[in-house]
Amino acid sequence: MLLKLVDLFAFLSVILRAGTLVFQSVLLGGVLFVLWVARTSSEVPNDSIARIQASSWRLLRISAVGLAVVQMLYLYVNSAALMVTAEIGFDGVIGANFFISGCIVLTAALMTAVVASGNKNVAKYALPVLAVIVMGASVMTNHAASRIEGRPALIALSCIHELATGFWIGGLPFLVLGLYRAKDLTTQWYVTERFSRMALVSVGFLVISGAIMSVLYIGSWNGVLGSAYGVMVSAKVLMLAALLLLGGVNFLLLRNTSKENALPRLRRLIEAEVGIGITVILTAASLTSQPPAVDQVSETVTMHQIYQRIKPVVPRLTYHYLEEASGPDPGTEAAGTGAAPQTQPVYNVDGVPLTTRLINNSIESESNHHWMGLVVLAMGLLALLARTGKAPWAEYWPLLLIGIAIFIFLQADTECWPVGWKSFGACWADPEVFQHRMAALVCVGFAIFELRVRQRKREGGGMALVFPLMCAIGGAVLLTHSHAITNVKENLLVELSHVPMGLIAVFAGWARWLELRLPEENRAIPSWIWPFCFVLIGAGLLNYREM
Amino acid sequence: MDRAVSRGWNLSWLALFLVLGATSSLWAHAILKESTPALNSTVKGPDFDITLRYNVRIDGVRSRVRLVAPDGTVSTLTLASQPSPDTLQTHAAGLNPGAYKLQWQVLASDGHMSRGEIPFTVN
Repeated sequence: MLLKLVDLFAFLSVILRAGTLVFQSVLLGGVLFVLWVARTSSEVPNDSIARIQASSWRLLRISAVGLAVVQMLYLYVNSAALMVTAEIGFDGVIGANFFISGCIVLTAALMTAVVASGNKNVAKYALPVLAVIVMGASVMTNHAASRIEGRPALIALSCIHELATGFWIGGLPFLVLGLYRAKDLTTQWYVTERFSRMALVSVGFLVISGAIMSVLYIGSWNGVLGSAYGVMVSAKVLMLAALLLLGGVNFLLLRNTSKENALPRLRRLIEAEVGIGITVILTAASLTSQPPAVDQVSETVTMHQIYQRIKPVVPRLTYHYLEEASGPDPGTEAAGTGAAPQTQPVYNVDGVPLTTRLINNSIESESNHHWMGLVVLAMGLLALLARTGKAPWAEYWPLLLIGIAIFIFLQADTECWPVGWKSFGACWADPEVFQHRMAALVCVGFAIFELRVRQRKREGGGMALVFPLMCAIGGAVLLTHSHAITNVKENLLVELSHVPMGLIAVFAGWARWLELRLPEENRAIPSWIWPFCFVLIGAGLLNYREM
Repeated sequence: MDRAVSRGWNLSWLALFLVLGATSSLWAHAILKESTPALNSTVKGPDFDITLRYNVRIDGVRSRVRLVAPDGTVSTLTLASQPSPDTLQTHAAGLNPGAYKLQWQVLASDGHMSRGEIPFTVN
């Protein structure tokens, strides 16, 4: 019971850490935006820039309060976990590094909220100091602070990295808001240009500091794909590349196109940048809670082991369970399509023979993934076909989501009716079955929802954005979900299949978002990207393997 | 802000919290690099020193090492002052032969807590 409670605290602690990083970045970006980007100028109408300033100050106050609340919860949860596990009183927690730095962040965030509500002349001197305090204290709870070697250099690099992240990615929500608030093109252009200049410098610092830290924390080429840390860094790099691509398009638009043509496109591209940027920060939060690859050299998977796991094989659409020495599990026979004698032993990545039960679980899991892959692949191909405009019937591809729902209903809980021995009603009491059935219902809901959106020829308004957002969320979940504690190598090999699919789902979501949001004449590229992403996800699922 | 975007951003907040909710726990930040006694080793009793070295700086005041005896009784060992920031030291005395476990739980300098077990035998 105690351990479960402690695990719950640890789980919450990681969630709150992610929240802290997001709010901290927005706060840092907000400080630079209100003090430098959205400055009054003779080039732009005063009332227009005043509207941007008012909304930016409000968002800055919200982010500061958000940071304070999340930080307070983090302090509470981490302190409670420490008090329970180390059997110490609250007075014993007070001197801990995380508590001191957390209190500093909390105080500075609250002061930021107060300063941002008061005299703006005071704010222009106080806010940079408070921002530096927030960032400095926050760095004391990341990897750099606990390293044995090269600690000062790593702390300095982390400061640069977090500051640059905040200025660029954290500033993007302010830019999006500013573009909506400013009613005239001149002001929108002025703000975008100033932000673009600042973002360009930030990106430089971000890339250089990130590259050096990657070398120091990963340590070898093998660790790039052979460790969970390296894989997550690689995912971050690919998302950064996508952000740079979007940023590059913005940059070219700013320089080579008229304001009238550029700004409608810029606004939409920046929305996608915000989404991908937040995913990058969440991935970073996930990274801070796992050991660097240089500390897990013996747990690094070799390229040969990776190749053995990902090389294409025939999908397992039908299967037979292996016979267990001690007899099958209750329900195993009902679930399977028969039993076959075990012919030769199967080993895990460490060379340890797998038990029959583990093999059977993997066989079932692989088959489920492969069937799902077939459906997603079909969805992607139909969506591509629909995109050609030559097959109107292919627009009904969302109906395949109902196929996924039926598959989940029949196959996810094989002990339940109609394939198992448990009655339909009795199965609802099982939380896992409940979750699966809810997921099936969500799939049906999405199928109906997306069909309606498509029937309205992509003019579905705000609700049409739900589907791309859910794609992006699903991708982010895959990118940030659990990492290996035990069975490090085996879990990493599974992660190596999930992370690319997560990345592609994030890109699919934001490509579809852009298709819906960009002006009609600019939708061509994103409208091809997201169906192609679906095809890739389907292919990835079809090749998913656990042994 | 137009209505569609307003709805979209409301959903984005929802999305953010869903993602945060799905971000799973780790609980394994500090890694035990080496220990005396080593994992599954045999040591000569009844008295011996225990040393645990990690990959990161450890807050020794807020870390714990417990000894689980063959009969399941658990005792918390008193930690000596840290010889280096990444190392914990303690001493076990009066142990009878049998299978024991060291349960460690450490607080890293960056605020992450980790725990683990070291089974060993005393002869």
